[in-house]
Amino acid sequence: MRKFITGVAFALCCVTSNAQETIKIGVIADRVGVSKPYSEPATEGIVFGADDLNRKGGILGRKIELLIEDDQSRPDISAALARKLIDQGAVFILSMSLTPATQQQQTVTMEAKTPQMTPMNSGDTLTTQLQNPYFWQTGPLGSIQIATLLAHAKSKQLKRVALITDNSDLGQLLGRFFKGGLEKSGIQVVAEEVVARGATTAAPQMQKIRAANPDAMFMAGVLTAENVLIFKAYREMGVRFPIHSSYNLSVPIYMTVAKGLINGVTFVDAYDPEKPEVKAFEAAYKKATGKDPFNLHGYGYDGMMLVAEAIKRAGSTDKEKIRAAMQGLTYAGVMGAKGMKYSFPDGKRAGYDPNGMVVRVYEGDKQGRVVHVGQK
Amino acid sequence: MQDFLELSLSATASGCIYGLVALAYLLMIRPTGIINFAVGEWAMLGAFGGFFFLTRFEFPYLLGMAAVVALMLLVGWGTERLAVRPLVEKGAPLLAPILALLGMLVIFREVISVSFPPDPHPVPYAFEIQHQKYFIIAVTALVFAGAWLFFEKTLWGKSFEAVALNRRAAALMGINLSRVTAAAFAGGAGAAGLAGLLVSPNVSAHYLMGVPLAIQGFTALVIGGVGRVEGALLGGLLLAFAEQLTTRYAPIPSGYAQGVPLLFLMIFLLIRPTGLLRARGA
Amino acid sequence: MRLAAWIGVFAALAALPFFLGSYHNDVYRKMLLWITLALGYNFLFGICGQVAFSHFAFYGIGAYSVVILLFQVNLPLPIAIVLGIVICVLLALAVAIPATRLEGFYLALVTLALAQLFIVVLNEGGAVTGGTGGIANYRLPPILGWRIAGPAYTVVIVALLAATLAVLWRLDRSWFGRACRAVRDNPEAAAAMGVDVARTKVIVFTLTSALAGVAGMVYAFVDNTVNPPIFGLDNAFLILFMVIVGGAGRHAGAAIGAILLFLLPFWLAPLVGHHHQLVFGALVLAAILVQPKGLVGLWDRFSR
Repeated sequence: MRKFITGVAFALCCVTSNAQETIKIGVIADRVGVSKPYSEPATEGIVFGADDLNRKGGILGRKIELLIEDDQSRPDISAALARKLIDQGAVFILSMSLTPATQQQQTVTMEAKTPQMTPMNSGDTLTTQLQNPYFWQTGPLGSIQIATLLAHAKSKQLKRVALITDNSDLGQLLGRFFKGGLEKSGIQVVAEEVVARGATTAAPQMQKIRAANPDAMFMAGVLTAENVLIFKAYREMGVRFPIHSSYNLSVPIYMTVAKGLINGVTFVDAYDPEKPEVKAFEAAYKKATGKDPFNLHGYGYDGMMLVAEAIKRAGSTDKEKIRAAMQGLTYAGVMGAKGMKYSFPDGKRAGYDPNGMVVRVYEGDKQGRVVHVGQK
Repeated sequence: MQDFLELSLSATASGCIYGLVALAYLLMIRPTGIINFAVGEWAMLGAFGGFFFLTRFEFPYLLGMAAVVALMLLVGWGTERLAVRPLVEKGAPLLAPILALLGMLVIFREVISVSFPPDPHPVPYAFEIQHQKYFIIAVTALVFAGAWLFFEKTLWGKSFEAVALNRRAAALMGINLSRVTAAAFAGGAGAAGLAGLLVSPNVSAHYLMGVPLAIQGFTALVIGGVGRVEGALLGGLLLAFAEQLTTRYAPIPSGYAQGVPLLFLMIFLLIRPTGLLRARGA
Repeated sequence: MRLAAWIGVFAALAALPFFLGSYHNDVYRKMLLWITLALGYNFLFGICGQVAFSHFAFYGIGAYSVVILLFQVNLPLPIAIVLGIVICVLLALAVAIPATRLEGFYLALVTLALAQLFIVVLNEGGAVTGGTGGIANYRLPPILGWRIAGPAYTVVIVALLAATLAVLWRLDRSWFGRACRAVRDNPEAAAAMGVDVARTKVIVFTLTSALAGVAGMVYAFVDNTVNPPIFGLDNAFLILFMVIVGGAGRHAGAAIGAILLFLLPFWLAPLVGHHHQLVFGALVLAAILVQPKGLVGLWDRFSR
């Protein structure tokens, strides 16, 4: 008799536990490699988002299960990990590592028809090099960054500028877009310099720039140490033209390693600390984890929310339905200027609103206020 | 013209850093013939030591610097005992300790990578940013003067030379080979660590800074020649000037300027491997 | 082992991919490629005693060559392959011939500089090399009307491994192999016995570099992407470590070393993350200090 009841109970458990099957979302992050400073906080944002959603009952009545893999900033491992996640049943993959890694994952997701998104990579080529209908990018594109920076600088009547970057792949990519944007606005790039990884000084490059006598200098580099070298050379050469930088300067590490060097530097960012959604996010995050978040956390959080929203709209975990839902999505998140929404109109897969970036300025050593919004 | 003078100052300072790394190689190569690629990681250790003593614990600068040097001497001695001495005593071929040191290179780098977060860490200047270059040049001059005096005038220095010329004869004459080797490694580590400490206020201490420095230092050594202490400094200066003048004045895209030290290395190795300065009496 | 046994082994290796999921297939393929590379490197370093860091760079040169020739210059596949091999051979000769005058570790440094220069050229190559982003979005063109992909492509890799092993094994057994060992152990004695030391070194370097290049060509269609970070410097050291830990001088050693050091990060990932490098460094140190014959040497000792 007892065995019979146990058996029925067991069978019931199996049946009900099937209904409670989780929604698996794969995350490929860099936990230990060169992009860890960006990947780690963004991934924490994702985890917070998933936990928050699960506390409120999950999506479609099911809990979210995050499968987090570490690709160590190695693109060849990245592709293998994408396959692993798909084999494990992930219905969506969030790419939180380097741009080339995301690129490499795309060959896999395209073949396996699995939705994939990067909420933070900014390389424009990710949506143009491969026509992958299952891939979206909601990070702030390099082209949007330069357009926003230029809009801010327009009031300053810039005619001749210098461009400096590093020799990393993203740095070179951003550099190309910056140059293109500048030239399209009729601004002449009078000096174009590269600081190599491992350099001990940026003095020769800064001298060359000084000799060209620009009205301002645009920085497209993404390597922290090399950017610091640029700031130091700037001080040493005694030049005074304004500096406008890519969103790399929004990473908080600069407040410690570039102390005293960045006052007045303007940079594009996707984070407006005065936005009500941001304030709500910061409060909720602090309450749940006890720590203060910063802009990078927001990228991950928005990514998770976008995926959740798409799955909700799709009404199921069928990958095709999710794809269609995401493509038709409009969503207001934490990142971006006040009132900005992510959307993918006309079949485009880059969802960051071109007018959604802000320009902020360093005041002293702290990331300061917003001085300009959008591309107008 | 002012540009050129400024650049010369900057190149001299960078050249001193390369020279110190080259000196580190030289101190170990001369008595033992072992090429220790781990000097780059030693420089990184010096930089992190600087972060530790000067930024974290805020020692006064000279005290912090002394602490770093002391630490590095210990590291050098330890490395020799662990990775070199057992092999030399076993009579292993020269390649073996070189490869063992490659293993150590990876170990050093990963130990730091585990112990500190991967962001660059700030290291303070000795005085301020404008004067750092003079400080680097002054310290380097002192170190090289010391090294030169050591080799030329002291008995210990002469015993180094004797070992370099003929190990067996030196041993027969009563020179303690293992002590010389240990001292060579300790000195090498000290020089490398100093280089790392001096360059780190500019580049910040991070765990990937080792290999580029190791390559630049080795290029400097190849250019200057292994035979003489002055060669290390000369090689370093030439390399730095070539690098920076090319970046500044050459009409090629800046990306290619990184190829300059590599090209130099290859050309010198293939055409004049003994370097510019000949050893005395050679 | 008898020929029949070998054929059986390779048949099994070739059949395996059809039973694996796509993720395991991916790991399996890459492991096979690493074994191929390690075998070639073992011949250069273990059997002939030449330390070089350019092996992985030639892997990259082969990969990029075939992709560029196929898709930018639009040559037919067989010509692209042959031309790619020619490029590797010429480059290897250009480095090896002057370098034979250098002893020991100096060759290693020239090849290290070459490897770094390769990356610089890739990054600055603009439209030809795809610059820092590399080249993607291509597929292996149909061969004789068939599209080879998935597990079928893994069979190609198995074939590559078999061919490489066959070539190196025969060479090892021949007088050339003996000449190489003589050059490794005592160049002066070898010269005295009539071995042309310089020519031997050049041939070995060129041959192994070309083999690495061919492996690279096969790799280009595994991920269907080539970009500079893949061919960076870390992997150059890794090959050396694989051969040392496995047992330099023995084909089995190279294979064991490759398998172990390739799979180790996957097993260690939950424990130590990226820091598996620390384990590698320690393994290499241990190998050199304690058991220079590597794991193969340990195996021998225990099976005696």
